[in-house]
Amino acid sequence: MAFTSTRGPSSGRRTVLKGALGSVGALALSGRTFAAEPGAAPGMIQPGVKPHLTPMRVSLDQLIDMKCCIRPLRAAGPNLGTQMVGDRLVVHNYGHGGSGWSLSWGSAEVAVGKALSVLPESVAVVGCGIVGLTSAVVAQRAGLKVTIYARELLQRTRSFRASGSFTPSSRIALNGPAGPQFPEQWEQMARFSWKMFRTFLGLPGKPVEFSDSYGVSYTPMERRQWPADPAIGGSWETTGLPQQNSEFAHLDSRIRDIVPQSVNLSPEENPFDTPFATRSSHMHFNFPAYGHMLLTEFFERGGRFVMRNFHSPAEFADLPEKVIIHSTGYAAKDLWRDDTMIPVRGQTAWLVPQPEANYTLRFKNMSLLSKADGIVLMNNNPDLGDMLGVGDTNEIPNRAPFEEALAALAPIFAPLANRNARS
Amino acid sequence: MKRIVLILATCIAAIAPAIAASPKSAGTSAGVYTQAQASEGSRVYAVRCAMCHGGTLSGTVETPGLTGKFMANWAGRPVADLYDYLARAMPQPAPGSLSPQDNARLVAFLLEANGAPAGKAPLPADSAALRRIILQPVRPR
Repeated sequence: MAFTSTRGPSSGRRTVLKGALGSVGALALSGRTFAAEPGAAPGMIQPGVKPHLTPMRVSLDQLIDMKCCIRPLRAAGPNLGTQMVGDRLVVHNYGHGGSGWSLSWGSAEVAVGKALSVLPESVAVVGCGIVGLTSAVVAQRAGLKVTIYARELLQRTRSFRASGSFTPSSRIALNGPAGPQFPEQWEQMARFSWKMFRTFLGLPGKPVEFSDSYGVSYTPMERRQWPADPAIGGSWETTGLPQQNSEFAHLDSRIRDIVPQSVNLSPEENPFDTPFATRSSHMHFNFPAYGHMLLTEFFERGGRFVMRNFHSPAEFADLPEKVIIHSTGYAAKDLWRDDTMIPVRGQTAWLVPQPEANYTLRFKNMSLLSKADGIVLMNNNPDLGDMLGVGDTNEIPNRAPFEEALAALAPIFAPLANRNARS
Repeated sequence: MKRIVLILATCIAAIAPAIAASPKSAGTSAGVYTQAQASEGSRVYAVRCAMCHGGTLSGTVETPGLTGKFMANWAGRPVADLYDYLARAMPQPAPGSLSPQDNARLVAFLLEANGAPAGKAPLPADSAALRRIILQPVRPR
């Protein structure tokens, strides 16, 4: 297991890291960070020792943004099929639920592969969310000339309103309509993406990085199960919307051999002093650096962006390119009249970035994930699971759950603050 | 310098007829809604749309504004494209819930907000009829 090395012998590393902080600080001042920040915990973890964590500033005065968006869940999983519009070959690549970022490279590989099979010299990509833009770059890396047609560049798409962590089977499909072949296809895309994300680790600005994720609890921690409830009669097949959690595909266990899993922390190792705690290593995407990196590659490879709004699939036949990759995410529901698209609302609040507190805290149904562009706060109803937000197309953020979460999470950091005050 | 001015003047002269109202054309510059209809539309907008698109139609980083770039997205197409889209997909929290009359009022309001002149007859709440009217760009004030 490659990741056990993060817990390896490190008695001397702390000193080394501290010694390096001066130069890191200087780099950070110039706006470019090339090495681990002071709070980068992985190198500091020692078995049997509480890691030194900087408490997060969990208060309303730190709130800088609230984002809300619709996950484009498609009942059968992402549409990667093809069809003709006039004499244009359309390769679909939309409907990735809460897994668009996580599956972007693997999904683009499939779509671009289909596009390449008819030997085009150029392709059009419609849509510039993370799936569209990644498809464009993958097509360029295959030597194609690419034009993106979209209403917005990545930074103003729904993709930028995600939380941005590796969650490859979050609302990705419903078991029934997805069928028995889907898990295998999903696994291929997830493994491909995982390896591609590793090619961005450690790059300037940290477009992709790992951090520690602590789950804390005052009661024994159990993974919640969602067995099918026979009292719920309907299903997606009969109502057009999933009716319970057991309808959702949960596939993460297929890649647990390479994706770090949680380990239990002993009281001596738990920095939060709660009776129960776990820690895992989690991959996340830093939107500003990632978006900059991908757009830079797209334009440096000669990519062209055309601002365009499509009103019907028939307009695809007007494009000069003979092959079109269609990646409009949730907008495909209306543009392509895909009634199997299911909106799943989600929302995040963002606190002032705190790079020295570079970890995630999970408590009950709430979480704080520290990223380069802010600390992501989520407060999801624990009794709804995947059903939370299903069928809800309201994209106006609701502030109240964030305020509740801040109040509930603040006391969790007291032991850290007390220990820091003593040391 | 004189030459530049001359070139500019020529350009403006060439563009102007395309932008200015062309009488009797099947375009929005001919006056295809009534002032009263647009006023009613502004009330529909305040209740059904302003929560996302803003009181001044400015939109946000996340929600499209309904002037300026809006024209780049919709001009040159039949008004029916906009009318049908609003009927199917808006308001986003309750798509398909606008009555045809309110939808036509909204489109009238949006035309007014984007500089199209009012006329004597109301905009029909009829997709087929709106397919014959082209949404024309207007030079910003």
